[in-house]
Amino acid sequence: MASEVENLRAAPNRRPPVGSARKDISWSRIGIYAVLFAGVIIAIGPFLWMISASFMTLSEVNLTRLLPENLLWENYATALRRANFLNIEIGADPQTGLLQSLSISGYIWNSVRITLITVLGSLAVCIPAAYAFARMKFVGRNFLFALFLSTMMIPGIVMLIPHLLTVIWLGRLSESLFGPLGAWFNNWPALTIPFFASVFNIFLLRQFFIQIPLDLWEAARIDGAGHPRFLISVVLPLSKAPIMTIVTLGFIGSWNALMWPLLVTINDEWRPIAVGLSNFVTADTPGDLNLQMAASVITVIPILLLYFVAQKQFTEGIAQTGIRG
Amino acid sequence: MLFNQAPRLPMVTFPPIARALGTRRGRLLIENVTAYLFLAPAGLLILLFGIFPVAFAFFVSLHRWRRFPDEYVGLANYEKALGNLGYILFFWLAIIALASAVKMGRRLQKLLRVSSDQRGFANVAAGLVAGYAALLVIDWFFKLVPVIMLIPRQVRRQNTTLSLFMEKLGESFTTPDVYAAGNLMLVGLLIGILAITLAVWRFRCADSGQLIALSAATAGIAGAGIFLLQLTVAETQAAIAAARDSGEALPIWSQLVFISAGIALIAGAWLIFRHGIGAYDNRRFVLQLVSGLMLAVGGYLLMAEAPAALAAADDDLLQGFWVTIMYATGTVPVQLSIGLLLAYLLFQPIRFRAFFRMVYFIPYITPFVATSIVFRIIFDAGQYAPANRILSIAGIEPQRWILERSTIGDLLGLPDFLAGPSLALIVIMIYSTWTYIGYDAVIFLAGLGNIPGELYEAARIDGASGWRIFRHITLPLLSPTVFFLSLVAIIGTFQAFTQIWILRTGAVGNKVNTASVYIFDELQNSNRYGYASSMAFVLFALILLMTLFQNRVMGRRVFYG
Repeated sequence: MASEVENLRAAPNRRPPVGSARKDISWSRIGIYAVLFAGVIIAIGPFLWMISASFMTLSEVNLTRLLPENLLWENYATALRRANFLNIEIGADPQTGLLQSLSISGYIWNSVRITLITVLGSLAVCIPAAYAFARMKFVGRNFLFALFLSTMMIPGIVMLIPHLLTVIWLGRLSESLFGPLGAWFNNWPALTIPFFASVFNIFLLRQFFIQIPLDLWEAARIDGAGHPRFLISVVLPLSKAPIMTIVTLGFIGSWNALMWPLLVTINDEWRPIAVGLSNFVTADTPGDLNLQMAASVITVIPILLLYFVAQKQFTEGIAQTGIRG
Repeated sequence: MLFNQAPRLPMVTFPPIARALGTRRGRLLIENVTAYLFLAPAGLLILLFGIFPVAFAFFVSLHRWRRFPDEYVGLANYEKALGNLGYILFFWLAIIALASAVKMGRRLQKLLRVSSDQRGFANVAAGLVAGYAALLVIDWFFKLVPVIMLIPRQVRRQNTTLSLFMEKLGESFTTPDVYAAGNLMLVGLLIGILAITLAVWRFRCADSGQLIALSAATAGIAGAGIFLLQLTVAETQAAIAAARDSGEALPIWSQLVFISAGIALIAGAWLIFRHGIGAYDNRRFVLQLVSGLMLAVGGYLLMAEAPAALAAADDDLLQGFWVTIMYATGTVPVQLSIGLLLAYLLFQPIRFRAFFRMVYFIPYITPFVATSIVFRIIFDAGQYAPANRILSIAGIEPQRWILERSTIGDLLGLPDFLAGPSLALIVIMIYSTWTYIGYDAVIFLAGLGNIPGELYEAARIDGASGWRIFRHITLPLLSPTVFFLSLVAIIGTFQAFTQIWILRTGAVGNKVNTASVYIFDELQNSNRYGYASSMAFVLFALILLMTLFQNRVMGRRVFYG
């Protein structure tokens, strides 16, 4: 009891300094570490077993071995092929050996394309809007901002049907304009365009833009710069941190998306990885669990890599805003 | 010199425009135009995919609609979902809309009293006209929508060209219904714009803008309320007449009265009880007695009438709501308290804090599909599946986990009313808790960091113990975080999809389908867009109601320092 109070005393600042742990070993301290390490095991135990199981033979998985006898790397190759995650066909000229044709397909490739389009489009749409809300005076600014924010409270399931109908209709219109390439349904526009104008992104960027000192704007204006110029050459270079947060969140969001892509894709042309994995697993029940694990590991790896790289910024961003993309 | 003159060149060529833009008014105009250009893409997309869909979903829910609009069926979809309660809900909705219109009218009256001259009334009149015009626009629009929505079907088998599409689009504006509504709308818009211009130019006063906006909103909401009431009464009477024709009685009206009375009594009991807390002994006793009586009568009314009103409801939907409620009560408190415990421990001066925080967060950011698959295998029914292995260490016989549809109460041999969730649902609950604990812990940690350290210092000087510090300082100051997290968590459970989609098996039937999963099934497998929309709306109403309730009841206890 007493040591708890002492522990509290060590936290007079907003954030107690890391590594200020005291040298003496008390039972309560051991208890704390025991609980925290138990938490670690629960949090990543399933992951560790997932990785371990992805190298096992099927019977080893079925018997719940902890570790595989031999590392079966070919599980990954089989999973990539069977789950149609990635197919790369390189056509080389037999005489010269030069690259002639390159065709990439598969769910990973689809997800990469969808993610890229979504993130870039979202930045292109949200940055000017956030800037307008943060830095410009116009009629109806507060009303529009409140209206935008209020759309965040509407549950996704309500929007699902109107989105679907709108996408089908717009797709028809754009097909009549651009031919089959312009289709929305079962094509990239349905999977990306509805997510361009993310109110959350606009809000996050606006909060950051507001903090940029007014003096900078005054100076730029005296130099003859207008709003577009100021946005591009002063504001954007200053806003790497929030843009990084948005990119990370956008990446995770479109990598994980399941419900909407299930609805608007009918074949593998543009189907993202979450749908692919879900179909692979539900189609082969009980099936080859080791391959399922390998496929899951493949799906998880890009997200984990991104998380480890942008980890600090990302956790801070979520702690401040409380919302995942 | 040369540099100074160069930018002036256009000024020489277009003197009037340049001069006009150089003034203060001109600069303001430029700023406004630039701002709206900046906003245009985002605004258009949000209008299309954020605001319009809500009205559109409601519109779809009033129709039989399978990929394409079929026919108008009024509230039939809602009746199918909730039985007679569907009508009753619409009555309440209409009453709420009318009540808020009245409330806004009273505010308007107050504003008018402050600026008491003719000009105020002129502004209000203009606002009312504009509000009515807005309703006419909505009316026209939703007469147009079903016609437009049919275009893709009409051009389906043909070679779709732009001219064909545009021709069909043009035709849809001239269908008799749409045409009439369109004319009415144009007249309304014209009068509305004229009225506002007149009000702003000739009758300008201090709070013109506020008066016009408020009166337009009042007119709009009152119109919506009247429309809802009309719709509900007409639909109810039609339903009763249809029932009478087939020789049955449909006691919607009496159910409406009894259920409304029951809820009013319970709400009144709550108010009186709260009032009684501050009163003296005798009065307090009387008040508590009265509130107890009201609670009993209200509860009896609800218990007697609600099952009858819900008799014709969709059992799968009710099951979905029930599953959602069990899911929320089973996960939210557990995940919040474990998250708080971890955050509190992490807040102590320990080593490797950053490492712990990073690791706890991993389940939350990894794709739910992938981690759900791991849980699917861990909680497999096989004798050697990981979960059963752990059970066997403890000497418990293997369970069927995700394949088990019987409830936890059955398995433990408890009586029926303690049945609780099925074991399959429990697995999903474990999964959700596992996912969200890290998220909760990180946000709690941020909340703990915001508590000023001097408070702990002061409490320690006063000799408070660890537990009392936690109870009387940490918890109250953390209450905004608790409030926020519980709100997010509850809304999250209502929208949970991915984990259930992966973890459900054919063997458990609808025992694990939450409302949103059931709605998605109706959409994906049965293509019943109208019916799915109506259920989505019911869910939306429920979420909104719960948020309000939580704001009222829990928000009162939140301490914002």
